[in-house]
Amino acid sequence: MDASSLIDALSRYSGLFLDATLMTLGLALSALGAGLILALVFALGELSRFRPLAWLTALVVTILRGLPELLIIFFVYFGFTHAFFLLTDQFIELSPFTAGTIALSLIYSAYASQILRGAMLSVASGQKEAAKALGLTPPRTFFRIVLPQAWRHALPGLGNQWLVLLKDTALVALIGINDILRQAQLISVKTYEPFTWYCMAALIYLAITLLSQNLINRMKQHSSRYVREVKI
Amino acid sequence: MSMDTELSYLPGLSYLPELLKGLGTTLELTFASVLLGCVLALLFTLVLTLRIKVLNSLVRLQILLFTGTPLLVQIFLIYYGPAQFDLFKDSRLWPLLSEPWFCAMLALALNSAAYSTQLFKGAIDNVAPGEWEACYALGMTKVQALGKVILPHAIRRALPAYGNEMILIMKGSSLASTITLMDLMGYASRLNARTYDTLTVFTMAGVIYLALTGIMTLLVRLLERKALAFSR
Repeated sequence: MDASSLIDALSRYSGLFLDATLMTLGLALSALGAGLILALVFALGELSRFRPLAWLTALVVTILRGLPELLIIFFVYFGFTHAFFLLTDQFIELSPFTAGTIALSLIYSAYASQILRGAMLSVASGQKEAAKALGLTPPRTFFRIVLPQAWRHALPGLGNQWLVLLKDTALVALIGINDILRQAQLISVKTYEPFTWYCMAALIYLAITLLSQNLINRMKQHSSRYVREVKI
Repeated sequence: MSMDTELSYLPGLSYLPELLKGLGTTLELTFASVLLGCVLALLFTLVLTLRIKVLNSLVRLQILLFTGTPLLVQIFLIYYGPAQFDLFKDSRLWPLLSEPWFCAMLALALNSAAYSTQLFKGAIDNVAPGEWEACYALGMTKVQALGKVILPHAIRRALPAYGNEMILIMKGSSLASTITLMDLMGYASRLNARTYDTLTVFTMAGVIYLALTGIMTLLVRLLERKALAFSR
């Protein structure tokens, strides 16, 4: 295809790709929000002093980390309907968007919980003791003292995991969400130009990744602004 | 679903033979991709460490493209992309490029090469500068030092992280089912479409994947014990 027809096609399909990009971003961000909360729950569960709870959480996290992402997405999307049918004898369709968000946040939280757990353990225990000595309650100590410090340690890892999540969103095209990859699929079937349109999809993902990396670097600098540097 | 059919495959064991048919493909794909990916990663690491002109920036571009875009997009691009050009269709490479197995393997290997190169390069950068100096003091050239001392050390240090990378490739190989390859995931999807017994089928597939992850983790641990025996 020559340049003019490419520009023509680009102007024709740019709207579709814009919608698809917003869909991908919306999915990724909602999975990130749910995933972070879930990750905190998993991390606290694994650190719990009630051993059975700690073991159970560790088991769930290990299973989630050992399964292919595609299998988890299919399990949630097709499995929910099946489970609901077995339990209530009724058919209820889970929307692909909801299923995608649940599956992606589960995958994200399994990895993020390990990062959070490590970060929480890296906060010196003297900090907690000092907070106790000052008379702060345990929840207040956790949210005001431990978490802000753990955040700085966790940020690089969580940022990397966000990039993984962003790339995993491509898988939800397979359960029918109209995201970047699915849009590329549809257009390339219509135009017989698979190379052009999958390249287009790849470039959009690349742009989002580079933008996120930039943002994460800035957040890293912001979160460690009070850490004094020693210049030699 | 009537009661008697449900009882006949109570634990879903009857699905196992059908699912295991795909195990061979999954293993072949994983093994071939790990092998090719590792060889490529070593070459790329060499290029980056020796700062070979032109090739250096090509490797950086490869890493940027393959770590910045989703694996599924890469698989689709390699499998469907070449069909757009008569150049590829008329070439001798066409029998290979129209083969789903080869395309999936190539995508997985290039993807893993990009991530592993980052890993290996990081390990080399972390080798103590004294080791380089000791090699130079013994009269070795940069290439000799790299091949005989630095690389073997760096690779051993990178082993735990590389083990994770291998597991990621194994899980990523499940995406090959989207380009009609009948691997473990492919058989699971087909079985699900035929029986609608979603929960059981995907649970059985999950158990097999978890077993594979477990075995691979154990193997890498054993390898680590051997390779890092000198440091204990």
